[in-house]
Amino acid sequence: MNPLTIRSWPKAILHMDADAFFASCEQAINPKLKSRPVVTGRERGIVAAASYEAKARGIKRGMRTFEVKRICPDAVILPSDYETYSLFSVRMFEILRRFSPDVEEYSIDEAFADLTGLRQVHHGPYELIAGKIQDTIRKELGITVSIGVSLSKVLAKIGSKHKKPAGLVMIPGRDIHLYLNNLSVADVWGIGPNTAAYLFKLGIRTALEFAGKDEGFIRKHFHKPHMEIWHEMNGRSIYPVVTGSKDNYQSISKAKTFTPPSSNETFVYAQLSKNLENACIKARRHRLAAIKLIIFLKEQDFRSRGVEIKLNSPTSYPADMFSVLREGFNHIYNKDRLYRQTGVVLAGLVPDNMVQMTLFDDPVRIEKMSKIYCAVDEISERYGKHAIQHASSLPTKLQAQHEGERGDVPRRKTELFNGENTRQRVGLPVLNIKI
Amino acid sequence: MDMNPSLNDKLKTRIKDITLFYNERGRMPTFSETGQLTGLRSKNAVSKLINVLQKLGVLDKDKTGRLIPKSIANPVRILGTVEAGFPIPAEEELADTISLDKLLIENPTATFMLKVSGDSMSDAGILPGDMVIVDKGQDPKNSDIVIAEVDGKWTMKYLKKRGDSITLVPANPKYKPIRPKNELKIAGVVTAVVRKYR
Repeated sequence: MNPLTIRSWPKAILHMDADAFFASCEQAINPKLKSRPVVTGRERGIVAAASYEAKARGIKRGMRTFEVKRICPDAVILPSDYETYSLFSVRMFEILRRFSPDVEEYSIDEAFADLTGLRQVHHGPYELIAGKIQDTIRKELGITVSIGVSLSKVLAKIGSKHKKPAGLVMIPGRDIHLYLNNLSVADVWGIGPNTAAYLFKLGIRTALEFAGKDEGFIRKHFHKPHMEIWHEMNGRSIYPVVTGSKDNYQSISKAKTFTPPSSNETFVYAQLSKNLENACIKARRHRLAAIKLIIFLKEQDFRSRGVEIKLNSPTSYPADMFSVLREGFNHIYNKDRLYRQTGVVLAGLVPDNMVQMTLFDDPVRIEKMSKIYCAVDEISERYGKHAIQHASSLPTKLQAQHEGERGDVPRRKTELFNGENTRQRVGLPVLNIKI
Repeated sequence: MDMNPSLNDKLKTRIKDITLFYNERGRMPTFSETGQLTGLRSKNAVSKLINVLQKLGVLDKDKTGRLIPKSIANPVRILGTVEAGFPIPAEEELADTISLDKLLIENPTATFMLKVSGDSMSDAGILPGDMVIVDKGQDPKNSDIVIAEVDGKWTMKYLKKRGDSITLVPANPKYKPIRPKNELKIAGVVTAVVRKYR
């Protein structure tokens, strides 16, 4: 086996992946849960995250919670506390930024960082920097992360996945082939099931077989995206670490599940209306406007129907979209079905200051809208989200979002400090220790 | 409220200099003369000073922008105004203030809250229902209040180190000091306590 490249560190890209993130956050704020099987997602009845102890007992993501109780009766099944998870997530990224200014927040529990050239600053090799990051996160947050460092994003991701939990895997140029040799090409970031099937037909099974093909072969059989992955696997970095907050959204989607499923038209439409309000709040926060609205309804058996609607002009105001929302809803709603989820997607986003008025727009009305929603956003900032909302969203209260079983609301939302309310709480994680 | 004494003294001297000029010449100085008198080189700085003196009621400007005396014509009153020490909220002064958040939270990424349920630290002023601020990033020092797990039980106590021996000391005579037998894990240092009454 020959090395794919002999240059050790022309670039150093780090990928960090938190271990069983949601479950780890719960264990960090409640030390009694450490070394116990912990599962989150109680409010939906589906496992959202499982601690390593739970995974060892055969519990997997997506499993129904009644099944968890059957195979692991001592499992602690908790409602999701997204507020706490988000606080941990932000802190993880902050800690990463202490080590490198180039950090890309990839998801709630994953990030990339470009460490190239930082060995001098930190007085040591890249491995030492990565180790310090792990130690700081463990000390300050009480959770573990797995890290991979290599020449490109695709390779760094292979590294962080290689040894979980709390793994630290360095893949310098001359070692790339060692890590690709035993890896199925289907497990490479960016290669989907269809591409994998095609690769198998071409006789390519391992990641190393793919990376080892010559450029002519790749050019003949693949297009640009897979060509880029091929470069990245050979240690030639193509994908940059994209820093800065995520302001360039392709689309904004908001969906919400409710249990038990419902066929009540008023309730289901209200859910959709609230989805739309939420998506618009996010769009306005990022100063974006949408030209396309997609709505979907998911049925109890997970089948879903959706419809795409083109808007007359880009907007981020629900009032501009309610008439088409209703039209689309009537198109896909069937009163004989039971629905468990509704959702909307705002697509074709443009900066809201670039919205051009058409001949048919009424400038007075647009000005009025902008004033109304400015006020709505200001009130929300002061008194909490949905302090003021459209009446069409009110019937969401006809039914609790989820079956009102005790313990379905995270502890943080019920045990409040003087001055906190159900809408707004202090932005610090709360330790669940009795002292 | 405390006032920056050097700034106040400087202002007093400047008012004195302008007053002297007025008493000697029988007229107020021009802008450039004020600059010379006070040692301010930029026109902007002079104009700022004039604004401050205007607010203090020391002098005023007429329609054409020329200075006219106000309390300068009556030196006793000037001293009175300054001595009463009514500080003007200068931007520079406010730049050095910090928010309560900053005061209470030293390491934002390592700080947690915890609601107190027991009374073992009541003599230290930490009561049941209080919120303590816990910093996981700081290394615990002697006499710090810490959140610790001692032989499997969680507690909040003073950390007393003497040589190699460690004792966890309560601030309430009802409780006894604890000496860890097998294991001591410190989860964080208590850096503040917050109690909100209404």
